[in-house]
Amino acid sequence: MADLVIPQPILDELVAHARALDPYECCGFLAGTGQTVSRVYRIKNIVSLEGAADAAAFDEAKVQHLSRLTPDERAEIAFIMDAQEMFHAVKDMRKNGLTLQVVYHSHPHDPARPSVTDIKIADDWEENWARLNLTLPIYLLISLKDKTCPDIRAYWIKKGAVTPARIGPA
Amino acid sequence: MIKVRIPTPLRPLTKGQGEVEAQAGSIASMIETLDQAHPGLKDRLCDETGELRRFVNIYVNEEDIRFLKGKETSLNDGDEVSIVPAIAGG
Repeated sequence: MADLVIPQPILDELVAHARALDPYECCGFLAGTGQTVSRVYRIKNIVSLEGAADAAAFDEAKVQHLSRLTPDERAEIAFIMDAQEMFHAVKDMRKNGLTLQVVYHSHPHDPARPSVTDIKIADDWEENWARLNLTLPIYLLISLKDKTCPDIRAYWIKKGAVTPARIGPA
Repeated sequence: MIKVRIPTPLRPLTKGQGEVEAQAGSIASMIETLDQAHPGLKDRLCDETGELRRFVNIYVNEEDIRFLKGKETSLNDGDEVSIVPAIAGG
């Protein structure tokens, strides 16, 4: 039994989002009811904004790496979700009775596995989800390492431990 | 008194403290009060027009202030404010 059912059109939309922003990382949320996803919320990646990378809870290695890149290049290896757009997405979910189920982003050059940075920030956020009365989301990655064959994988990240989440098409 | 949770990236400004206290009746006045005690904090939270930066979330108890009255959201004694960096990754 799948942890989450993601209908094929939604999976197609995730790949379309990743490809539209390639070579930059895309990010967003999936929401739905029960175990089934019904909606994609694309969120703007604002890592190139002045001051954004300094404010994010990146690990030290990532901070060093980002500091050597131009603002545009930063979006090739990192994302920061626009909090204003996140607010609008959550507002829409509440209005439509949907639950936030997935936090997704793309890896334009790397495999569909959480990076050290992904795990660190998921760990930081674990207490926030509970504090905000939201359930712990599944983290989903779209890899464009093989441009002709995008790879989508999903994970639970709990207390710093990564385990595969079972996702299935409808 | 309001309890304010400070995220890791801002702790260099609070001498490493993860939680500070402030006496304030609104988010706007809390930011001013915190900036006096920890200079530079306001600049990290707000842009040059005074608006909350797009990579910062502020929650009062369990609610995003964007759902409330933004910086004009009122605070009461015992409220817990969390400053939370936007979701990010690499």
